[in-house]
Amino acid sequence: MGKILTEVQRHLLRMIFDRGAEGASLALSKWLGRAVSLTVSEVEITELEQAAELLGPADSLVAACSMELTGRLTGWILLVFEDRSGLALVDMLLHQPVGTTTAWGEIEQSAAKETTNIVGCAYVNALAAHLPATLTRGTAPIRQAESDGSDLVPTPPTFFHEFAGSLLEFALMEQAIELDQVLLIRSEFEAYRRESNLDWTLLFVPTRESLRELIAALAQLELH
Amino acid sequence: MPTPGFTDLPLSTDIVSVAIGRWAVAAAPVKIRTLLGSCVGVVLYDRVVKVGGVAHIVLPDAREAVDHPGKYADTAIPGMIVDFDQRLGGNARSRLVAKLVGGARMFQVPSAKDTKAGLNIGQRNQEAIERILAELRIPILARDLGGEAGRRMTLDTASGMITIKVPGGAEYEI
Repeated sequence: MGKILTEVQRHLLRMIFDRGAEGASLALSKWLGRAVSLTVSEVEITELEQAAELLGPADSLVAACSMELTGRLTGWILLVFEDRSGLALVDMLLHQPVGTTTAWGEIEQSAAKETTNIVGCAYVNALAAHLPATLTRGTAPIRQAESDGSDLVPTPPTFFHEFAGSLLEFALMEQAIELDQVLLIRSEFEAYRRESNLDWTLLFVPTRESLRELIAALAQLELH
Repeated sequence: MPTPGFTDLPLSTDIVSVAIGRWAVAAAPVKIRTLLGSCVGVVLYDRVVKVGGVAHIVLPDAREAVDHPGKYADTAIPGMIVDFDQRLGGNARSRLVAKLVGGARMFQVPSAKDTKAGLNIGQRNQEAIERILAELRIPILARDLGGEAGRRMTLDTASGMITIKVPGGAEYEI
């Protein structure tokens, strides 16, 4: 695929996914009942061998929920929590003091999955409204989507408790089949607490085919 | 000039980390570690001189790609053997044994698109690696493959044993 994106295309792509991240941030704020701010939104293009460190030390344990995206744009959405922040999110949802939850049991995993469902759908809905027209012909909002193949449809979330590097390797493997540089879109959110900040990361990893289609659509935008 | 795919070793270290698509060869008492998801870790070990190597393999065959030999089974394994030969003065292959780790499958390829490429890469890697090792007459002493979770593996070059850790599980050896 050569060099993946020009700088202009990268900038356009970041602007588009910023809209998705803003939608996700609003949804997360409403869901948690507290302000959640979007702190970083970046198109990461990295050598495959360095990708395992994108979420910090590769052997750090993270909790994550993934949703596969199908339809006109394909790939994976991942909401990733460093353990402490993830368990704190569960405490906030259950209206108990942060620090109460110490392990990922069934209830905790369910809370994480539901959070991902809400955030992921908000992300996709916001994205759909801002993706280039050539990519999302006929897109409808998620809750009214019909499965005609042109909509953006996320699958129900799956929970993982995994090494950060392994999680990224799994998510990027489809791109790695052809590419030595891989691309993902990373958005980070922060909820401020008096004692410490809590951080969550939302990743979108497109498939090779969607990456090609995005690049083609961005190239057209670049011309106009 | 550094060998492409080879992880540069610091002068003095206890643990060398191997990134995706790379390999490293080291002598006792160095330990070699890598983190695996769907990729397969190929361990080669010379029990006589206690030199071991780990390759973190992503795909079965390079198909004439030359830039990243560590990424492909059919270039990484021969490349690693060349490094053994350079360390040991040639003909290392006759003493080598192998162990395989990894090849898990967590994410499915999206069903609506491109169902061939990427499908069960872990299994395809395993088949290619076993074929290459058979052609080289390098016996495979142990395998810890498949499943749905990542693995952190560490080769102890002093013993040839591999310690494996999966998230939430106890360590075990092969």
